[in-house]
Amino acid sequence: MRAHLPIRIRLIALGALLFMSAPLMSLLWRVPWSRLVDLLTREVVTDALLLSLVTSLAAALAALSLGIPLALCLTRMDGFVASLVRAVVVLPMILPPVVGGAALLFAFGRNGLVGSVVSDLTGLILPYTLTGVIVANTFVALPFVILTVEGALRAVDPRFELAAATLGANESRVTFRVVLPMVRPALIAGGFLGWARALGEFGATITFAGNIQGKTQTLPLAVFVALETDREAALAMSVVLISVSLLILVSLRDRWWPVR
Amino acid sequence: MSTSSEFLLDARVTLERGDLQLDAELQVHHGEVVALMGPNGAGKTTLLNALLGWLPLQSGWILVDGETFEAPGEGTATATHRRGLGMVFQDGLLFPHLKVAGNIHFGAAPDADLVSLMETLEVSNLLEKYPSELSAGQTQRVALARTLAADPKMVLLDEPLASLDIAGRSRARELIGTALSENLSGALLVTHDPADAFALAQRVLVLENGRITQFDSPSAIQSEPKSRWIADLMGWNIFRGTRRGSSVVLPNGTEIATAGLQTDGEVSVMINPVAVALFPERPVGSPRNSWLCRIRGVQLLGDIARVSLSGPLNIYADITSTAAAELALNEGTEIWVTVKATEVHTDPHASGD
Repeated sequence: MRAHLPIRIRLIALGALLFMSAPLMSLLWRVPWSRLVDLLTREVVTDALLLSLVTSLAAALAALSLGIPLALCLTRMDGFVASLVRAVVVLPMILPPVVGGAALLFAFGRNGLVGSVVSDLTGLILPYTLTGVIVANTFVALPFVILTVEGALRAVDPRFELAAATLGANESRVTFRVVLPMVRPALIAGGFLGWARALGEFGATITFAGNIQGKTQTLPLAVFVALETDREAALAMSVVLISVSLLILVSLRDRWWPVR
Repeated sequence: MSTSSEFLLDARVTLERGDLQLDAELQVHHGEVVALMGPNGAGKTTLLNALLGWLPLQSGWILVDGETFEAPGEGTATATHRRGLGMVFQDGLLFPHLKVAGNIHFGAAPDADLVSLMETLEVSNLLEKYPSELSAGQTQRVALARTLAADPKMVLLDEPLASLDIAGRSRARELIGTALSENLSGALLVTHDPADAFALAQRVLVLENGRITQFDSPSAIQSEPKSRWIADLMGWNIFRGTRRGSSVVLPNGTEIATAGLQTDGEVSVMINPVAVALFPERPVGSPRNSWLCRIRGVQLLGDIARVSLSGPLNIYADITSTAAAELALNEGTEIWVTVKATEVHTDPHASGD
């Protein structure tokens, strides 16, 4: 139990809540509910829906498989090195996504630092492809996975690792049978957060992968285009995005942010 | 039980960690339980972690059953999971995501007799529970079962009873004693409680400020404490003073005669309460250590009466309750207190606390 708050603070808080929920409410107000099914089955929309589903899920899985090992390493770092690595990891969270997309082009574009080597070796071209969408989404989803998992890993008493080792467990067994299972809720939360972030990604995707219907046009991109041409379709797709994001946040409850 | 080498554990552990400079050499025999005692920060847990290979040695060696884990010029040290040393932690440290059965099976040796082990430690009915559903006593029994199931060459226990209440404690002590004697080739048990040490261990190793001050049988620890901390632990009378020849002078001027002659300086004087004799009249021949004191109180502890006295020396005397009745001890009465010079022990390492 805490002390009561002054009335003016409570009024400002109410204002803040209204300010944040007003856009959402207004959007839902304008949705043509009766024609929702019809709108959502148009080809532009189904293309974007399917593409978004595939790329965001692939990105979430990629972010988990890359992010968990990095989080494990980050847990064992401290001081300047840890701060530096964490800054690099958090950067995509803070960076304007368009800048992130541009940076991705310079790195993984056809003439990019890494991309030219990759395309010479494998013939794989990332920009303006479905794979490119996944790369861009993974880039923005990774910080959420890493920070969530690292926060949980740091909360695990390292003596559990010692206990496992005294029971004959080697490094793999300690990691896979003790440490990772102990942070399972954070792995799930990190995966869902990364998925939600990937699903909503716009700037990095359009910059790095373009906006080609049926190939790289994800839901947010389709919403942006439809706002100019078919406002009702834009509203219908927005409802889908809002529902999924809300569902994820509500089902994760308070586990969605690393608690230190 | 293998007896291929003379000692189960033969180690010298030298390392620095923060303010602690640990330098301890110890040998544990096959089948022996050694209690490890010492003040907080003395390096007990650090010593265990070093034996486990969790902290690297600066120098020294660790041999278990003749097998070298770490030694000078030996190259890489044996990894913790290959040492075959079991560890029981103060708080059990059961894996929270596994049920009791999963915890016990985690490192179980293929040929381990889990059924009889779980019966001995009375955990058979807990197998389907998660660690969060267990009491402190149950947690420690499961922790010991988990450790013993791995069939370790030796078990290290870091205050396994410290988190238990008094009732759970004596029962757990009994069970641990049984399990250790049934399953074990040797153990090193860290404890704060002399009762645990004396009930479970054949020898007691005392570590103070990174050094071993005494490594003896429980009876020797009790009768011949080699340091002020041990004497204090055993309930001895302790005085700080300055040595002059064969005597020690206390800050209030009282002089205590000792049997030995050592170099002058600050010392702690340690006197077993059992060695303090009480007389209603001044003793004949007037021994050197005799003082007229006033009785402050008498406390009956079973057959023993602990008499608290003040005067030139504030001292406790433990006498039999029969003797106490004969002396008719009343609070406030004066009585003669004597201690033989041979019963006065000194510890020159009086610096520190």
